[in-house]
Amino acid sequence: MSRTLAITLDDLVACRSCDLLHLRKPLALGEQTRCRRCSSIMSTRKPATIDRSLAAVLASIVLLLISLMLPFLSLSRAGIESQISILDAVASLWESDLRWLGLVTLALIVLLPLGRLVLLAWVLAAIRLRRPANRALRSAFRWATRLEPWAMADVFMVGVAISLVKLGSVARLEIGLAFWSLCALIALTVIVTIVLCKDTVWRYLIQ
Amino acid sequence: MALPYSVTGRTAKVAGLARCPACGTLGQASPKLHCRGCGGVVHARIPFSLQRTWAFLIVGLMAYVPANTLPIMSSTGYTGATSDTILSGVMTLADQGSPGVAIIIFVASICIPVTKFFIIGGLALSLHLDLPLSGHKRHRLHAVTEFIGRWSMIDVFVVAVLAALIQLGAIITIEPGVGINAFALSVVFTMFSALSLDARLIWDGNAT
Repeated sequence: MSRTLAITLDDLVACRSCDLLHLRKPLALGEQTRCRRCSSIMSTRKPATIDRSLAAVLASIVLLLISLMLPFLSLSRAGIESQISILDAVASLWESDLRWLGLVTLALIVLLPLGRLVLLAWVLAAIRLRRPANRALRSAFRWATRLEPWAMADVFMVGVAISLVKLGSVARLEIGLAFWSLCALIALTVIVTIVLCKDTVWRYLIQ
Repeated sequence: MALPYSVTGRTAKVAGLARCPACGTLGQASPKLHCRGCGGVVHARIPFSLQRTWAFLIVGLMAYVPANTLPIMSSTGYTGATSDTILSGVMTLADQGSPGVAIIIFVASICIPVTKFFIIGGLALSLHLDLPLSGHKRHRLHAVTEFIGRWSMIDVFVVAVLAALIQLGAIITIEPGVGINAFALSVVFTMFSALSLDARLIWDGNAT
């Protein structure tokens, strides 16, 4: 037999959701493997992932900042007009008795998404510029992954849309620029998850 | 370290290995293991997974009670003051002619959380009792709970946006009620509960 009977740890991959061990296969660009028991995706190798994800992440940061600063809704009623940006919304919750709600909103739609994007941008830029991998970069990428379910800009958008309908009968509402940039941000978030190949990033970070 | 060829087809845990949850690198299982690849903490299974799941789930359930009985929002205008709970808010919306929005809020604030309580509770119970259920079905349920949980936050954001918008408008006022705090807490704790449930436990009991 030409194949050796003993293998090492690095020849194996375990499925993330059912823990079954498989032999590691070399992947061609664009290929992925699935677990043969639970058919979860086990490893991926996406083309041009660093460049594409870095571009999408940088664009997301710009859009997120725009969404925060510019007004996303303006309301006019009996001649009184008011405009609010996301930061205004959080500030007004903070000033009323609901600091807690203000903090949760701030964390879920500003701090956590922004934190995740900045960490990703840092890691991807370091790889792009061929900086040597180090512990800080590895922790940064680990945290960026961990923050994923807590970034809720998309859920917030649906909330905004519903508020529009609810207030439609009471006042005249207009959608501001930040609303559209939030929409674009959500589309980009989907793009980031499609083009970002975590396995490739880890391969660069662990050498 | 050399391993026999036959380890494939067994789980990493059975083979005495542990997979890093972040980078996927395998290491030899031991308590307080740090991943040799990325340096993160590695456990063969999330420690006390079921206990944590139950604890977070119970807190989530406890918070869900005041979330539904206490008002989430009260508004004062020329027509007087009204205060709404989640359910009465849905009714009002349906009466005022926006059934679509009423359905979205009903699904996000009532259907999703209640379904999630049942699914997580059911999965945890099936693991405790070692019920011979299909791994594939339970695996799918687990994936669903992780995906839908965050959408429950819709109502919290609606109240936040309305309150912020209206306070600047100065004619009618909308004030968030205590209920919405309880609701947000309930969603967050249920998300923690879903994240604490180690999906790999589902496959440990039976191989199919």
